[in-house]
Amino acid sequence: MKDDIKILEVLEYLPKHIGAMIAKLPEKILMDAEEIRLRLAKPLCVSGSNAELFIAANGYAVSAAEEAYFVSEDDLKRALQLTCNYSLYSVEEELRNGFITVSGGHRVGVCGRTVVDGGKVKTLKDISYMNFRVAKQVLGASDKVSGYLLQPPDGIYNTLIISPPQCGKTTLLRDLVRRLSSGSKDIPFKGMKISLVDERSEIAACSMGIPRNDVGIRTDVLDGCPKAVGIIMVIRSMSPEIVATDEIGRSEDADAITAAVNAGVKVITTIHGSNITDFLNKQDLKRIQKGVFERYVVLSRKKGVGTLETVLDGEFNALYERSKEHL
Amino acid sequence: MMLKIVGGLLVISASGLLGMVYSYKLSLRYRELANLRRLMQMLETEVTYGATPLPAALFSVSKKAEGPIGSFFCSISRCLSDRSFYTVREAWNDSAESILTQSSLKRTDIDLIKSFGSILGCSDREDQKKHFQLFYIQLSHQEDAAMEEIKRSAKMYRSLGFLLGIAVFVVLA
Repeated sequence: MKDDIKILEVLEYLPKHIGAMIAKLPEKILMDAEEIRLRLAKPLCVSGSNAELFIAANGYAVSAAEEAYFVSEDDLKRALQLTCNYSLYSVEEELRNGFITVSGGHRVGVCGRTVVDGGKVKTLKDISYMNFRVAKQVLGASDKVSGYLLQPPDGIYNTLIISPPQCGKTTLLRDLVRRLSSGSKDIPFKGMKISLVDERSEIAACSMGIPRNDVGIRTDVLDGCPKAVGIIMVIRSMSPEIVATDEIGRSEDADAITAAVNAGVKVITTIHGSNITDFLNKQDLKRIQKGVFERYVVLSRKKGVGTLETVLDGEFNALYERSKEHL
Repeated sequence: MMLKIVGGLLVISASGLLGMVYSYKLSLRYRELANLRRLMQMLETEVTYGATPLPAALFSVSKKAEGPIGSFFCSISRCLSDRSFYTVREAWNDSAESILTQSSLKRTDIDLIKSFGSILGCSDREDQKKHFQLFYIQLSHQEDAAMEEIKRSAKMYRSLGFLLGIAVFVVLA
């Protein structure tokens, strides 16, 4: 049972006394918790999918902010040291993006003062906000969707997962990759060679080159590589049947995806947005808005994280709609 | 008479040996400084090119050396991995005090090494590289001083040992 509580893995990156406070919370709250928030001189806070709790120094959840434990500067410094394994230089690139991925695939978001050099964020300093986001690999997250994505006899469609943040798009992508790579007996499918370009190490959650999440038996992971470069690299080097990557958005990404599709490789990727129109409004992605993707999967959290809203085909005809199902 | 000669020889060789031991200890400091430089260069490579996190970097470097410097690096790595300290500086200082003070290094050498602990791991690679370079410059001052001492004193201690032995022999005889 204890192993199921992923949040306990995150506590390792917090100063001992804070970790102890949180570990005292009831199991039910811990199971549900998604984030631990440290803000300088503000109450320590744990939030789940439907509740936000302040934590008092004795480890009890309290509703009044004044009774909670207030995070000190020292706590933040220590948490940062633990998170980056005492080596800021090793997370330089991640800091620029504003978050660090730790072992287990958990993400630690940081905010503070930015140092800008020539219009680009050089680094972050005086870090006074940290958000420990618990990553949960949900095996079977793709059960409902995968049927729509298989192309008879044994291929798949180019797929784009559209979802707002925190709605389970990475979780879905990860499980899709796992399923398509390992194959499955219930939906007779033999498994395909997948190259996973994991720019931010959050899909496979590699640490020292070893995936901490199950991403399937035919998956090659290119860890930490910028998507646009990475996609081209793996097509040349690993001869994949599917390329999977997370959170596209820039025009280089669109170019790389076009190149992949033209090379006869299938693509599965995700994007931020709450419906198909959001995707069609993105100027940078003009090139891939028509004729590239053959399936669009839209997620929300209306019925909990990872609610499947709609599945569209390449011509935007609905294959599945949640709202209609309940009528 | 025979006893006198044997006793005299013993006195002379003992004090001569003492002088040699002392001069050897002087050269040990220089050797350890050189060893330190070598290890720091390896660490620099790990940090600036490999971007290896410190616990792993220190451990792999410590494997490549014997003596107090090696165990110093190994001890820091262990302190950091088992989380007995929250900052590199604390772990670094603690290990320096407990291990390096047992070595032939002088107080000034140890202070220099300790000063580096507050910088390591606290900034980006570019900045770390600069601090390594600065450390080498400071280190070469210490090395020069150690070399100077060897040149000046090592020979002297050696001959002084023998001379003292002879003097004692002459006085006693």
